[in-house]
Amino acid sequence: MAENRGLQALEANVIQKDLCAFCGACLSLCPYLRSWGGRWVKLHDCDLAEGRCYAYCPRTELDLDAIHSGLLGGPYEDLAMGPFRRVVMAQCTDPQVRQRAQTGGVVSALMSLALDAGWIDAAVLTRRGEDQLPEGYLVRKREEVLICAGSSYVAAPTLEALNRGPWNGDERIGVVAIPCQVQALAKMRLSALERKTPIDRIALIVGLFCTWALTYRPFMEFVRIRVQGVPIQKMDITPPPERLLKVHTHGDVWNIPLDEIRSFIPPTCGVCLDMTSEWADLSVGTVEGMEGWNTVVVRTERGEELFERAEKEGLLEIRQLPEANFQHLRDASLLKKRRALKALQERGELATGYLKLSQEAVQRILEDGTEAES
Amino acid sequence: MSLIAKDAPGQQVLLMGNEAIARGAVEAGVKVCAAYPGNPSSEIIGSLAQVGEDLGIYVEWSVNEKVALEISAAASFAGLRGLTAMKQNGLNVASDFLLNLNLSGTKGGLVVVVCDDPSALSSSNEEDSRAYAKLGDLPLLEPSTFQEAKDMTKWAFELSEELGIPCMLRSVTRVSHARGNVKLGEIPKDVREPHFDTTHPIIPLPVAWTHRSLHDKLAKCRERFETSSFNIYQGPEKPELLVVTCGSSWLYVREAVHNLGLEDRVGVVKLGTTWPLPGDFLRRHLKRAARILFVEEVDPFLEENVKAFCAENGDELGMKTFLGKASGDMPDIGEMNPDIVTETLKRIFRVSYEPRPSEYAQNATQIALQHAPMRQLGFCAGCPHRATYWAVKNALAMDGRDGFVLGDIGCYTLGIAPAGFSQVKTFHAMGSGTGLANGFGQLERFGFHQPIIAVCGDSTFYHAAVPALINAQYNRADFLMLILDNSATSMTGFQPHPGTGRTAMGQEAPVVDIEGLCRALGAHVEAVDPFQVTETTHTIYRLLQKGKGLRVLVVRRECALVRGKREGKLFQVRVDQQRCIGIDCGCNRLCTRVFKCPGLVWDPETGKARVDEAICTGCGVCAEICPSSAIIKEVA
Repeated sequence: MAENRGLQALEANVIQKDLCAFCGACLSLCPYLRSWGGRWVKLHDCDLAEGRCYAYCPRTELDLDAIHSGLLGGPYEDLAMGPFRRVVMAQCTDPQVRQRAQTGGVVSALMSLALDAGWIDAAVLTRRGEDQLPEGYLVRKREEVLICAGSSYVAAPTLEALNRGPWNGDERIGVVAIPCQVQALAKMRLSALERKTPIDRIALIVGLFCTWALTYRPFMEFVRIRVQGVPIQKMDITPPPERLLKVHTHGDVWNIPLDEIRSFIPPTCGVCLDMTSEWADLSVGTVEGMEGWNTVVVRTERGEELFERAEKEGLLEIRQLPEANFQHLRDASLLKKRRALKALQERGELATGYLKLSQEAVQRILEDGTEAES
Repeated sequence: MSLIAKDAPGQQVLLMGNEAIARGAVEAGVKVCAAYPGNPSSEIIGSLAQVGEDLGIYVEWSVNEKVALEISAAASFAGLRGLTAMKQNGLNVASDFLLNLNLSGTKGGLVVVVCDDPSALSSSNEEDSRAYAKLGDLPLLEPSTFQEAKDMTKWAFELSEELGIPCMLRSVTRVSHARGNVKLGEIPKDVREPHFDTTHPIIPLPVAWTHRSLHDKLAKCRERFETSSFNIYQGPEKPELLVVTCGSSWLYVREAVHNLGLEDRVGVVKLGTTWPLPGDFLRRHLKRAARILFVEEVDPFLEENVKAFCAENGDELGMKTFLGKASGDMPDIGEMNPDIVTETLKRIFRVSYEPRPSEYAQNATQIALQHAPMRQLGFCAGCPHRATYWAVKNALAMDGRDGFVLGDIGCYTLGIAPAGFSQVKTFHAMGSGTGLANGFGQLERFGFHQPIIAVCGDSTFYHAAVPALINAQYNRADFLMLILDNSATSMTGFQPHPGTGRTAMGQEAPVVDIEGLCRALGAHVEAVDPFQVTETTHTIYRLLQKGKGLRVLVVRRECALVRGKREGKLFQVRVDQQRCIGIDCGCNRLCTRVFKCPGLVWDPETGKARVDEAICTGCGVCAEICPSSAIIKEVA
């Protein structure tokens, strides 16, 4: 009997192994899987031998060489942070956007521009709904982009909104995604399975830097107890050395040391090799030690085009990223990879698990940048 | 006019066993008949309800068997003749009253008909209700034929009236539900005036006196039984084997003895009066042989009582060899049939008999499998319960705390099967899902966090769920109660109940408001239409999250068969063959593989689903669940 590459295998190899990243790639493709209350929910059993849920999942068969050659041509060479053209720092020139945004407002500015300029017709973003529950959110106007500004810290099934639509059949689509979602998008774009979702019309992927995303239910239960049941308005994480989760309630701010919430980081983040959304058009994160500025990794031609236009139109101020910051970013990215490989090794899944990476590449990652380990 | 009301003494008519029982009651001049439906007993009251008005008999469907017995007993207390009929489970419900009524005694003839269901063909349990006759010191009659069913019923009233205690008549499925010729008797024209003698309270006290009196009545009953023509012996003077049997088993024994040509070697004692045992009659015949075989359904009732009788009369009867359930010669569960008896007699007499070629059964099965469509135990097309369980399944999956459903007795019991997506995890007695939910609903204090859903039907709600709901509200049990109101007692044949606005005799009746009743308890109450699947799912989910205590959701949609008979299809439903994606990823036959309404069929040739026009009742629920919007519903 042929090996199952459908929901049964997804359950056995991902869900039951606690490796689901809750990216949303498998959800609402069919009536069987959906998200509900921050959880992956299977409504019915499906016995198909091959399914998109399995094909799109970033934790099933991730072949970095195949993705690189499929999307960009040539082998996967920059093992530290994937293919890129340049790395700079930038901030949105509009202080109002910056105020709403997590750091420099670059993502909001880029998505607004893309929508305004007709670069894309719609964007799949993530918003925090009722009870801080993050969900994929479809926007068609620039005014809606700011609703989604700011980080969520909690794993969001953003791609479910891409799967669900509704689409009218000809929109060009932009997506803002975290690395597991960017990996899923790469797998979607390369999948040979018949497409019923508008994958071929994805015209822009803005990736975010990510080291982990919390599991909604237990994390929120913990926070609710810590803030004594007072309704939560907003949550922020402050950078080192403070390292605090700041929970804003009506008129109060509750500080929770970051170490206390680490137990809500799901095991799947520990086996993720990507910190910088390597298969996006542009990847955006913070700049260590510089509040209000984003690091921007420009990766593809269309990413470069949009970024240049944003600068030209005065929407972004762009500066060179200091060499130390670049080095730090590279080291951090490699560190995540190294930790993931070690975790896979410990789980006994380095040879048999989802990751398809040459032994030589594995060795290079494990040996590279050991200084950053500290 | 119904045959059971036919005023034609001496005429032979074809009657179902249950109709024969009803006719017997008519011939006895019964005035009050009450029951709760339960197969295989339902047609007794059903057929009486049809003729009640013409014959001047009051017939009602009561909320449960205990109330039904109380209603019939009241008629008896007022000097009229009363009858109640029930299935074996029903007697358990009525037993509390019955086992006081035996002591208090009755006036007008009161007959308690119990239709047992050996092999549980339409029951949740297999039970031999004859034990209650012994337990309650009550006369017990067991008809074997349709004629006996009628005649015994009539006699049971006379016996009851003479002795002043209720008389039990025990039927089984094969007597109740088969048909045979019955010679009619007269329908009495006399009119009794009901009156309760207030100078003589009818109470079971003082027990020392009433119990003594009951035993005296039973002794008198035994005298009557000694001469009953319902007890007969057939066979040679000195048979090699004496078979003691009763009920429909007698027919199987006769067939087996005949087929094996053992008429000269086997004697058959057929008892129609099985408690108390007619001692003199038995003594006469037990002397005939040293080997005795018992053939009866379900428990070794005769077997054990006759054995005890033989022990008491050992001096006279001598040593016997007993063959039956205890010896392993007869199966100790399930229905009897001629084959079973034949096999046993073949073994005992070491004779060979091949009624049909040995491969016959195998061939027949093969042929049947070729031509019979594959079908699972399931809900009818358009059944609202399917939509309800679909919503329950989705809501529990969304909830994700491993919640489960406690069920009980009704069509919705099929929630245990794939037709109900296997959502129901327990079912026992009427209303016991709600009772169990009361218990589970108290376990949080011990660290139990699974959400609890109890389901009960509308008829079951009135029957047995109300006390459990009162308990839940009082003791703050934490669960969600779904009342699956399909506005009918569907499983037993669409009998009306307090929610339907009609009585058994077809008169208009006030509707007992389920929501109003639950609100009066103080429960949080909502109502939904299960055909609005998404809304129902979200309502169930929301109520599962909602605080503590009793929450009631009335899921209301009329039984598809009741509605279909009255007004035809709700919607014309079809599958757009272009849009249907069949087994493709994104559907994988959701409608025919998972939802499984029999109105939808999978066409392997086209790889698409289609609607079976003959079966579809047009509920339109499948249109809501189809992921490709390929199922189109248009107002019929």
